[in-house]
Amino acid sequence: MIPLTWEIASRGLTEAGRILVMLAVGVAVIEALAYLILHKWLKLKNALPFMLMLPAFIAVVALVIYPFLFNLQLAFSNMSMYRFKEFSVGLSYGIQNFLDVFRAPVLQNVTFAQLLLRTVVWTAVNVFFHVLGGLFLAILLNRPLRGKAIYRTLLTIPWAIPQVIAALAWKNEFHYQYGFINVLLQKLGFAPVQWLSDPKWAFVAVIIVNIWLGIPFMMVIILGGLQSISPDYYDAAQIDGASGFQQFRAITMPLLKPVLTPAIILGVVWTFNNFNVIYLITKGGPMEGTDILVTSLYKAVFEFYRYGFGAAYSTVILIILLIFTWIYLKVTKGMGEVADA
Amino acid sequence: MMKRAIAFILTGVLFFALAVPMGALAQKKVTFTLWTKEGEVTGGVLEDIVELSKEFAKSRPGLTIEVVSYGVEELRQNFQAAAFAGQGPDLLWTVSDHAGPFVAMKIIKPVDNIFGKDFLKEFVRPGLECVELDGKTWGVPISVGNHLMLLYNKNLLKTPPKNTDEMIKVGKELTRDLNKDGVPDQYGLVYNLNEPFFFAPWLGGFGGWPLDGTKPTLNTPAMVNALQFVHDLKFVHKIVPVECDYDAADALFKEGKAAMLINGDWSLTSYQTPEVRKKVDLGVARIPMVSQTGLWPTPMTSGIYFMLPDYLTGEKLQIAKEFVEFISSDKVQLRFLEKHMRLPATASALKNPKIASDPLLKGSADQMVVGKPMPTVPEMRAAWDAIRPNQEAVMAGKMSPKNAAKAMQDACEKLIREMTK
Repeated sequence: MIPLTWEIASRGLTEAGRILVMLAVGVAVIEALAYLILHKWLKLKNALPFMLMLPAFIAVVALVIYPFLFNLQLAFSNMSMYRFKEFSVGLSYGIQNFLDVFRAPVLQNVTFAQLLLRTVVWTAVNVFFHVLGGLFLAILLNRPLRGKAIYRTLLTIPWAIPQVIAALAWKNEFHYQYGFINVLLQKLGFAPVQWLSDPKWAFVAVIIVNIWLGIPFMMVIILGGLQSISPDYYDAAQIDGASGFQQFRAITMPLLKPVLTPAIILGVVWTFNNFNVIYLITKGGPMEGTDILVTSLYKAVFEFYRYGFGAAYSTVILIILLIFTWIYLKVTKGMGEVADA
Repeated sequence: MMKRAIAFILTGVLFFALAVPMGALAQKKVTFTLWTKEGEVTGGVLEDIVELSKEFAKSRPGLTIEVVSYGVEELRQNFQAAAFAGQGPDLLWTVSDHAGPFVAMKIIKPVDNIFGKDFLKEFVRPGLECVELDGKTWGVPISVGNHLMLLYNKNLLKTPPKNTDEMIKVGKELTRDLNKDGVPDQYGLVYNLNEPFFFAPWLGGFGGWPLDGTKPTLNTPAMVNALQFVHDLKFVHKIVPVECDYDAADALFKEGKAAMLINGDWSLTSYQTPEVRKKVDLGVARIPMVSQTGLWPTPMTSGIYFMLPDYLTGEKLQIAKEFVEFISSDKVQLRFLEKHMRLPATASALKNPKIASDPLLKGSADQMVVGKPMPTVPEMRAAWDAIRPNQEAVMAGKMSPKNAAKAMQDACEKLIREMTK
């Protein structure tokens, strides 16, 4: 390993300093122009608020809106390995790209419909267990408990470990002969499972890892929500003779909703697009058995250089997620309560 | 008052910003960026590159060489993105298989005219062949090889098997259940069972090869026989573990729990550490001849190459040229041989007596001679991806070799159609 010397550190700092200076200059120039145009020339009353918002607005355009539009442009292009720099854009290419998403296997055998179904199963199972596990642990931690801080720290560890390291560590634990899980299964009298060579079990394996990784986030969010519920409600309910389950159903759940709704939306979007766990453990294999939409998208673009097709494919995935979020918000009215609160 | 304050701050920032680049201009500094695929896993090579680049930069005042390390795949993707924008590294230190897509994308330069015939003549033919496309040379070899070979532990196996029949025979003897729990804990042979690159030598040994030019040749009797052979190693002869990826094979061999291992030249030094030597007395040989055909298995040979970005011009191009010449010198080539056991790319360095006198290097060089250059054409990517899931299916006992060969061919043709659409 190359040690971190003063030379390397100072070079890094100089580089960071230079970027900061460039940003400052950029902002100064933009603000100067805006000042001249908005205040001096147009004599706008609200020149200052516009000037204050301008840098952030430009950053959003450069980092979000422009890439998104560029992606749309690529979706309507024939960009590929052989047409990398000199690609053409046209409606017919776009139609072809979008049709290709649905009419042929995306990779070798799996079709879009199969991948979508698998992604939905992957997302639903994961988020269900994230919420269930997170809720269970949060309720436990919300009670008076000795050494609570230690439990809380230990339980957030999966979240604190970089996903890459966690996933690679888990991969070894799924080894047929030497992995911890099969050793445990055998000790309990079960037959060992071919976790990484059988597609069905491989899918189970990646789900197990992702559940393990995702629970702490939900736990922390839900714990925050629980702590904001006033104990008065529970006292009142106890006086009225409500059982523990009744209290949970009538007080805890409704009051957690404003916290849970955005957390679940985030959880769904993240899990739906979770690339790391699957790619690091199985690379979508064996036999494309653990590929979900995003891993197949990655392969189509970065392994087969199908840029036009990939851009169209990613747009389809975006639309699916937008529809989900819209329906979910309609059904739960979750965000409304956040706004009202 | 506020206006004045704003004007004052703006002027200050502008002055400061202008002063910085002017200061830089006065010193006339050049930063030259080298992207390399060497990193943590190739023990010590990255450090050596950094050291060499410092040594080189001493001859040119004001020059700083920045060495950036990426994984092989990361390097490919990042360079594609950078080249698309028309800027990025000034030189690439990478593997030969990147040449195919980079040429198709028109993002690297041919090197023939930059270095001239006399310079390129110094390199061994198999080294140059790997990066020749459309009648031009697209890279300068740094090291040739990257080939698989048979590594064996002399503590368990005195002499390496001559052919596959012998390999299976000793493999069975050496696959042992030492603690009598019904599962072997020592294996005759270990290697990355599901990885197409590790299957390629066997395919060649049965007389097949994935591509003929740019046409896939996967549905062939040779493929069926080779798949049957690797299938039988697991299910009939049972001399390999039920599941075995690269890390498992590596760990089993290092712990002295495997008699034979198929691995590449890049791994040689990792089996020579004092820790590993306690359990492994390393021997290197050719992968045994296939008894059925009388042919030697043909591991894919490739190598590590310098490639020059398409946008490189002027002073940077000149620096790149001189740096490449510096690394290609016998002195540096022999340094890589001695420190990292990498076979040099120049004919003169390959003649060094150290190679003939070192049994490990001799074994490695001996294996390389029967290797076959890995196809550089972009179609090879489709072949890899067509082979992989079907090879996995055969190794999971879920598909017959015959059906797998057909599925590979169909998949490869489809992938090539889509790639070239």
